[in-house]
Amino acid sequence: MNALIKFAVPLAFLVCAVVLVLDPVPFVSPVAARVPTPAWATDPTPVRQPKLKPEYVAAGFTYQCMDCHRIIPSPAETFRRLTQHTEIQLNHGINTRCFNCHHPTNRNAFVDDFGDEIPWDQPQLLCAKCHGPVYRDWQAGSHGRINGYWDTTKGPQTKRRCIECHDPHRPPFAQLPPAPGPNTLRMGRPVPVEHGGRRDPLRLFAPDNHSASPH
Amino acid sequence: MKRYLTFLWDCFRLSFVGDWRYHAWMTVLTLITLGGVYAWCQQLVHGLVTTGMTDQVSWGMYIANFTYLVGLAAAAAMLVIPVYVYRNLHLHDVVIFGELLAVSVILMCLLFVTVDLGRPDRFHHLLLRFNFPISMLTWDVIALNGYLLLNLHICGYLIYCAYCGRKPSKAFYIPFVFVAIAWAISIHTVTAFLYVGLGGRPFWNSAIIAPRFLASAFAAGPALIILTLQVVRRFTRHQVSDEALLTLRRIVQVAMLINLFLLLCELFTEFYADTRHVASIRYLFFGLGEHRALVPWIWTALAMNVVATTLFMLPASRALKTLNVACVLAIVGIWIEKGMGLIVPAFVPSPLGEIVEYRPTLHETMVCFGIWAFGLLVYTILVRVSVPVLAGEVTYARRWGAHPKAESSPLVSASQPEPKL
Amino acid sequence: MADSAPVSGNASPPPSEAGVSRRQFLGQGAAVAAGLSALAAAMSPLRHLSDDDLPSVEEFLQKHYKEMTPADKERALERIREQVKKRYGVDAKVSDPPPLDGVEFVYGLNISRCIGCRKCVHACVAENNQSRSPEIQYIRVLEMEKGSIDLETANHHYDPEQVPRPDKWYMPVQCHQCANPPCVKVCPVEATWQEPDGITVIDYDWCIGCRYCEAACPYFARRFNFTRPEIPKDEINPNMSYLSNRPRQKGVMEKCTFCLHRTRVGQLPACLEVCPTGSRKFGNVLDPNSEVHYILKNKRVFVLKADVGTLPRFFYYFDERGSRYHEPITPDTKGKELKEGA
Repeated sequence: MNALIKFAVPLAFLVCAVVLVLDPVPFVSPVAARVPTPAWATDPTPVRQPKLKPEYVAAGFTYQCMDCHRIIPSPAETFRRLTQHTEIQLNHGINTRCFNCHHPTNRNAFVDDFGDEIPWDQPQLLCAKCHGPVYRDWQAGSHGRINGYWDTTKGPQTKRRCIECHDPHRPPFAQLPPAPGPNTLRMGRPVPVEHGGRRDPLRLFAPDNHSASPH
Repeated sequence: MKRYLTFLWDCFRLSFVGDWRYHAWMTVLTLITLGGVYAWCQQLVHGLVTTGMTDQVSWGMYIANFTYLVGLAAAAAMLVIPVYVYRNLHLHDVVIFGELLAVSVILMCLLFVTVDLGRPDRFHHLLLRFNFPISMLTWDVIALNGYLLLNLHICGYLIYCAYCGRKPSKAFYIPFVFVAIAWAISIHTVTAFLYVGLGGRPFWNSAIIAPRFLASAFAAGPALIILTLQVVRRFTRHQVSDEALLTLRRIVQVAMLINLFLLLCELFTEFYADTRHVASIRYLFFGLGEHRALVPWIWTALAMNVVATTLFMLPASRALKTLNVACVLAIVGIWIEKGMGLIVPAFVPSPLGEIVEYRPTLHETMVCFGIWAFGLLVYTILVRVSVPVLAGEVTYARRWGAHPKAESSPLVSASQPEPKL
Repeated sequence: MADSAPVSGNASPPPSEAGVSRRQFLGQGAAVAAGLSALAAAMSPLRHLSDDDLPSVEEFLQKHYKEMTPADKERALERIREQVKKRYGVDAKVSDPPPLDGVEFVYGLNISRCIGCRKCVHACVAENNQSRSPEIQYIRVLEMEKGSIDLETANHHYDPEQVPRPDKWYMPVQCHQCANPPCVKVCPVEATWQEPDGITVIDYDWCIGCRYCEAACPYFARRFNFTRPEIPKDEINPNMSYLSNRPRQKGVMEKCTFCLHRTRVGQLPACLEVCPTGSRKFGNVLDPNSEVHYILKNKRVFVLKADVGTLPRFFYYFDERGSRYHEPITPDTKGKELKEGA
């Protein structure tokens, strides 16, 4: 046995050397393929780029609003359907009247609470008529987009106006498709976590759980 | 100086001498170690992606084993305290094996920390900007290395004195023994504080972790020593009395009971209060939804610990066979509980509630086995060298192999003791 | 677990003759040689190490960021420029902008307005040269049930056709740049620290990759490079700085730095620039005219996990009005009162 071990030990090492050189347990990368990022996901352009001018495009021509409305005065406000500008779907809560915002006589301007004109490029003054607290937040910068430099001594700052995010005729911020979610190393298949439990008050909000409501 | 170099050289030579079983054992350990080296080299090339760790579960098997092994190093203290504090004579002759175990176990700890680093090539940064005393990790570096040096000094001094054939001077080691006792407590406490100090991980952020750590360490360490001493007396001529083993049994008994009691305290606090912080421990014991990777492990560990404790309490464990079964159960049970059961659940769910499970990879497992094999290799060599030297069979005056014809080698002269198992 | 030291009995006999000794020596030599070759074989995977993986002498000797002289720093920046050029073929502008006097950055996030579109996540990745595969992102957007702020039930992986979903709300989480940062405290080598302007940074050339900071962070804000980060050459952002978005190495930590290469020269961070709803607000809280100052003073504000005492510089706020802002206006109710009154 002792004689045998003299040969066995070097032999075992040699076999081990050969085996290890052949890379017996190669590393197989668990790194998942990259999920492509759509270009829009990193694009900082605002969702709306309205012209801050009283212009209207019809049949390929651009008109100032007053070009037509000087000649054709709008009829008095009624509940009848629009015959012109039918593409406009007004969906602005209780604000259902065109002349709440548009100046009744000068279509190149908006109207303020006193019937005076608000210039077309100052839409925030118009919105402020109803949305006072939001306007205050916007002025202070806690509402709305600000781009460029935080330190205005070093560079320009762009403060986006209301209608660069909100469509004045349908103001809620439009839904967007979400950019791809996380795909981290060895993440596995994410399992959604159930909310609640029998006694959780929030169970009433669960989409498939309305039967649990007390009604 | 020459004498010391001769000592080292003789130790080196001694470690290559043995019968076929010794050679086979050492070869197997070396091969496993080489497998670990191979897997670690792959990890160096590809990064820690070869392990099962993720951003969500950023510590795994390596740190788990590290934590457990820090506990095992307590074994030394548990032998030293009865001998030097309570003058227990049964353990006097075997205390050195505990200290040698501490040396090899701390080596393994350091290796486990090293393989866990993303940039081991920057290890010197630790020397250049040592964030002491703010970072608990720097405390741990000091605690572990200090404990390693203390035990190396104590063992090395005693063995070297035996080699020189002189009586060890108490002034050169007794103070260090007492420092080492305090130090042994500190390595657990500091390692536990590594985890306890993290306010963002409620599973760890509990004052009970450090005491539990000590309790389980004082159970697993001496349990391992009980097994080791039996192996030593089976294969060497070193005398190990049954009384020594039974003294250790009593230590394990008490430690296991305290460990279970502290576990109970922890479970009650978490589950009865039922705050959101219970998520991690719920994951550990019951799983969260379909994520239940650790559930079978922890229940196995719990069962092992309960059975082991019962066995230790019964008079039946005065018989060595039962005692050994209880020891194995305790060692494995605490390994699961302190290793995987303490580290991984703290990361599940992540601080933001995401659940990513951790599964060790093959490479990671190979590295772990490699380090364990290396530690056993070191321990085998240390025991192999120290037994004949301490027995006075190899000394400077009678160097082994120096006068081969004058006397038969001490290594082969002795009679094989009857196994007492 | 059991180990043995078999020394007894029939061990090899002592060398009594020169011949035996030589034979034994040869035997041992063979074993040692075989063992060494096995060791070499075990280390053979190291042949795949690329030049980038090994630190150059210069990198190895580089000092800690805080100990560098201006000349040292310039050398380090030059080395990074060369590395970027070599690896990505891009002429990068690598700078090291210092923190500004009298500036402490604070972030505000309006959870009444966030729609969960995740554009910030991807703008951040593009700006900060994060690894595309494996994927590293600094920002996580959580989708939560209305009526709940329970992170444990948050959905990280929501993927509906359109966001926001009507019965959900969204909370992006990134590094909170805490004033009492637990991650900084734990670093054993001081590779991460808090700058005077409140940004917690990492010296990527100093980090040893122990991931203790990642375990310490209560916000899941830190990321580890588990392998070599991959970035397509044409997607490299050449505007880099030492402490923020220069390409990272394998095995080091990284995190959000409030885009300090932008913000320290007066620009806004990339996640803010891209946000379509203007939910994100950033600025110098010490300036009483800044937006963030206004928010902290006038808005209802909370921080995430205030109980862990990290004192974040990242504040969530909401509008007192407009909480029904996501709800579509149904034609039925439009002007109902008006008609009834008429």
